[in-house]
Amino acid sequence: MQKFSTLFFKYNTYLLFVVYCGISFLFIKFQDDDLLTKLHNNGMEASAFITDKMMSFSYVLNLKEENDRLMRINTELISKVLNTEAAAFDERTRQKILADTTLKASKFFMARVVNRKFSDRENMLLINAGSSDGIKKDMTVLTPEGLVGRVSTVSEHFAKVMPVINSDFKVSVVSGKSNSMGLLSWNGGNESIAQIEHIPISSNLKLNEQVLTSDFSTFASRGIPVGKVVRIQPDKLFYTVEVKLAVDFSSLTHVLIAPLKIETEKIEMIRENTSGETFP
Amino acid sequence: MTKKYPLYIGILFIVALLQEFGFSHLTLFDVSPDIITIFIAVISVTVGQKSGTSLGFMAGLLSGILSGNMGLNMLARTVEGFIAGFFNIPAGSHATATQKTKRIYLAIVTAGFCANSVLAAGYNPLAISPVYRIFVLGVIESVLTLILAVIVTRLFLRQSLAD
Repeated sequence: MQKFSTLFFKYNTYLLFVVYCGISFLFIKFQDDDLLTKLHNNGMEASAFITDKMMSFSYVLNLKEENDRLMRINTELISKVLNTEAAAFDERTRQKILADTTLKASKFFMARVVNRKFSDRENMLLINAGSSDGIKKDMTVLTPEGLVGRVSTVSEHFAKVMPVINSDFKVSVVSGKSNSMGLLSWNGGNESIAQIEHIPISSNLKLNEQVLTSDFSTFASRGIPVGKVVRIQPDKLFYTVEVKLAVDFSSLTHVLIAPLKIETEKIEMIRENTSGETFP
Repeated sequence: MTKKYPLYIGILFIVALLQEFGFSHLTLFDVSPDIITIFIAVISVTVGQKSGTSLGFMAGLLSGILSGNMGLNMLARTVEGFIAGFFNIPAGSHATATQKTKRIYLAIVTAGFCANSVLAAGYNPLAISPVYRIFVLGVIESVLTLILAVIVTRLFLRQSLAD
């Protein structure tokens, strides 16, 4: 008995190992047992709970990154929305222009104003149509409301437009009722007001009379609305007339470009009598 | 030893959680370092084979509850503690800190390899060849565990091993 107890204490580690292994084998054998399954399920739940908490913690830690990511997505979405809205606006404007029956819009080129230089003395518009679209220098630029200007420079995909509200711009105009003719130009200042020169005192020009482009113009077709007379001031020989322009340049987004009016012979005839001036 | 048992169990609990939720995610070739092996080996080497075997059994139970395969985990960890116990440094030994450390490393590699072999033999969810699992993945796991053990001993056990 003493020998047995000595052996037991000497090799108790081995015995313990055997016992533990035995229990382990029992667990393996009965691993599908309800009790063990329940224990395992509880363990899994606890594990999932801890994982969830850790994920929440790491989520809070990564919140800044997440915010930055969301901001990036937000910016992209805003940009997409803006692009869509811009496209919808462009389409609406295009439809409006094409629906205008006073102009045979199908003969015109259509373009979008992509840039403008705006100052009290110089106003230049840049449109997204160029020589590749058939745009040529001196083509008339207009909207259904009235005259915008003339093409001054053309590149392959863009064209510069000298608008009516440019101090170098001049166009022959005629009043709608009294047929008073004059030369319209813009002297700076208010961008909705232009001036007509060379209307003789003898003419019957009245306030609110519509002003249109005349046949004398070398680039613009006859009858394009330009504006309305808002002020008539008599001078010694001529009236000083102020015209409220038909086109609102501050909200100009789309324009039409009229086909070039070919009057080479007329220009040459005028050139014989003048010296290098811009033809109105 | 008996007085320190609750402390060991407490540490074991923390180590098991660390393994389950931390180190098991540091994988290389689908293998991760095993901090439980380090803990069991350290206890077996420094305290005794019996304590190491018992803690191994409990570690197996704990990791089995958390990750499944309770019986197999218990068996593997028990084997781990028992094998590591053969590298035990008796109390009052004049071994230097370096010798103790080397013995711990040896215990970790051997015990870890044996435990991995038991697990590979008993449970093969990915149907990998057992030879490949034991001799390739087992070796990689031992190396990773050894690297972790070097870090752990240098950070936490330097002083106690020098005593």
